Amino acid sequence: MAQAIDIKGKLRVGPSPHIRSKRTSAWVMDQVIIAMIPPAVAATFFFGWWVLGMIVIGITTAVASEFIYQKLTYKPIKIHDHSAALTGFLIALSLPVTAPIWMIMFGSAFAIIIVKQMSGGIGKNYINPAVAGRVATKAFFTPWLANWVLPAGFFGSGYRGVDAVSTATPLEYIGDGARTVAEEVPGLFDLFMGFNLGGNIGETSKFAILIGMLYLIFRRVINPKIPVLYILTTVVVMGLWTGFNFDFMMTHALTGTLFFGATYMATDYSSGSLTPEGKTVFAIGCGVLTAFFRITLDHPGGVGYAILIMNVLAPFIDNKLMPRIYGHKMRPQVSFNRQSENTI
Amino acid sequence: MSFSFMGKHEGSHPEENKSRTNKLAIEDASVPKIMVFPVSMHIGAPAKSVVEVGDKVKAGQLIAEAGGFVSANIYASVSGEVIALEKRPIVGGESDCIIVKNDYNYTKAELLVEPGNSQNMSKDDILGTVRKAGIAGMGGATFPTSVKLSPPPGMTVDTLVINGAECEPYSTSDHRVMVEHPDEIVKGINLSRKLFPLLKHIYIGIEDNKPDAIKALENASADYDDISVRPLKTMYPRGSEKNLIKSVTGREVPPGGLPAAVRCVVLNTSTIRSCYRACEFGEPLIERVVSVSGTPIKNPKNLRVKIGTPMDSLIEDCGGFIEVPGKILGGGPFMGKAISDLGVPIIKGTTAITVLTPEEANIGDEQDCIMCAECIHVCPVSLQPILISDAFERGNIEKAEKLGAMDCIECGNCSFICPSKIPLLENIRSAKAAIKQKEEG
Repeated sequence: MAQAIDIKGKLRVGPSPHIRSKRTSAWVMDQVIIAMIPPAVAATFFFGWWVLGMIVIGITTAVASEFIYQKLTYKPIKIHDHSAALTGFLIALSLPVTAPIWMIMFGSAFAIIIVKQMSGGIGKNYINPAVAGRVATKAFFTPWLANWVLPAGFFGSGYRGVDAVSTATPLEYIGDGARTVAEEVPGLFDLFMGFNLGGNIGETSKFAILIGMLYLIFRRVINPKIPVLYILTTVVVMGLWTGFNFDFMMTHALTGTLFFGATYMATDYSSGSLTPEGKTVFAIGCGVLTAFFRITLDHPGGVGYAILIMNVLAPFIDNKLMPRIYGHKMRPQVSFNRQSENTI
Repeated sequence: MSFSFMGKHEGSHPEENKSRTNKLAIEDASVPKIMVFPVSMHIGAPAKSVVEVGDKVKAGQLIAEAGGFVSANIYASVSGEVIALEKRPIVGGESDCIIVKNDYNYTKAELLVEPGNSQNMSKDDILGTVRKAGIAGMGGATFPTSVKLSPPPGMTVDTLVINGAECEPYSTSDHRVMVEHPDEIVKGINLSRKLFPLLKHIYIGIEDNKPDAIKALENASADYDDISVRPLKTMYPRGSEKNLIKSVTGREVPPGGLPAAVRCVVLNTSTIRSCYRACEFGEPLIERVVSVSGTPIKNPKNLRVKIGTPMDSLIEDCGGFIEVPGKILGGGPFMGKAISDLGVPIIKGTTAITVLTPEEANIGDEQDCIMCAECIHVCPVSLQPILISDAFERGNIEKAEKLGAMDCIECGNCSFICPSKIPLLENIRSAKAAIKQKEEG
């Protein structure tokens, strides 16, 4: 009976372990894309149907840029790992609804080609492509980008929000040395939900971002300590700065890119820290720098600068905080950077 | 699904797949006509055959004697005639084997010691009997037990750890031994007290997915205050010797050192039971329990198997395959070894036969690393597997060594967890081989 099924020549050999977890890299990227749907829905609700157009442009440009770059450089085509789509989605959500089409395309192409592919492709980039794309866009094209509008609803906003009313971002009232919350800043509930709040389309509803964050934590895609420590640190530093003005601290927690960046950008694998303790330092560092830039700068952008600086520091942090190996007294005394290590 | 805020788990949570067999009582396996006894079924020097082709042997007769200090005796598990001495495939390679044709008379050889006298045995009697019985680590590592029980001079042992973790998916042989023979395990522990006069703590570590085994051993050891049954959170590889020591004592074995360096001795549940049976009943190690499980197996079972039984006989006892197997393993899916021929025999360290479907054994295509750090989170000895693998692939053996390649216990968690299906353990093994080669010049 045992040989009723002929197994001759059908058995695979090969070394242990013999099973693999079901999780794949593309699945991980898909989870982040799914987690960006709540802010995308909120953005469409607040800033109108054109948001969907922006997302399509962002994703299409990013995927096309990766495809063309890999073709031109005779590299294997890897758009099926879904990481380029993720970057394009992220870029679209981090621009205001007034952003011109070419700017969405510029941000996505810059992120994919200059930051990701020229560093060697997925997993090799020191800095987060979406953050770099966004900071570069901001640096080059501020006049177009500082054009915030108030949300006017799905039909009310029109193409690129032209029918909506211009506004300022609350950060302009609570940054640059301020220690109190100005009159013009919306209330905490409005800041949390994104009501009557101008800004980059994906960032205004912290409620929607929180859903995405919890989804990623629940799916064990991101380590909860990164967003939690990041936001908490910023809030605590703002507390130290203002002698614990609760209103000021909470307003900072719920303003600008902090929630969005802490959830979708600081948690990026390849530009963040690799080691467990490194992740803690990375998150706290992002929080301290964000608070510092918000206090000192006279324009928004602290989160982007903070994450980029910590991205650059991450390999150094990792080398100093390699886990102590079982049975050893000290951490490994060696430096090793995956992105820049030479081949012998 | 467990979850750690610090992101360091030191283990993984694979699907356990134990429910097919964990409630099934141990049954006797049938004994086939041809039995195969590899002379190398333990770590250390191969045993030396003491029989010739044509010799008649009895069940329990010595057929190969230990080939050195780190080696073990081998006994025939049936009576019959030696029909060949030849090389055969075994789990994990090839070995000279003694082939015995079973005469089904089960004529018994002389016992190792007078039965029923284990209580009165001296330390040297016990050690001598364990050595004579050919007992080697039955959890899979097959290190000769008598060597383990004789720590090097100057090292004192104050802690005995009985390993009932059985963290490999599918495997249930230790589980059933603990449920059905807890008294023999406790009697084995009591015998071992004579070997370690300074013994202070005795722990029986069992994963908490085996509540019936925990209960059975708690009951069996109720009269002994110094024996404590330690339920351990289920996690692979909880039962690795180094991790088990840390789990129950908080001590860490130094790099390259023996458990005795931190005053511990670790024995598998089936091993300590065999020590007891050798001393009490004079039985050499000729039998063990093997769980046979997996999706393609018709009736998965826990079988009491005579060592030397070819695997196809066990598969037949379990009703054969109901679908085409993709991989057949001697051991569990993490540390077991794939076999290509069902003629390989059950040896002292074969805890289980695990059969996987082609889908279950599918590795998937390798992708670029996305730096998710999962391999770092699941490494039980806190290595950074991706960095060692990367250093090796770049030809930088020195860095692979400094990153701790030699500390790898080869549990396989890194390769298992990797979403990009990078062969991390394979690369680390290659790095280790290259480091050893470099050291030997």
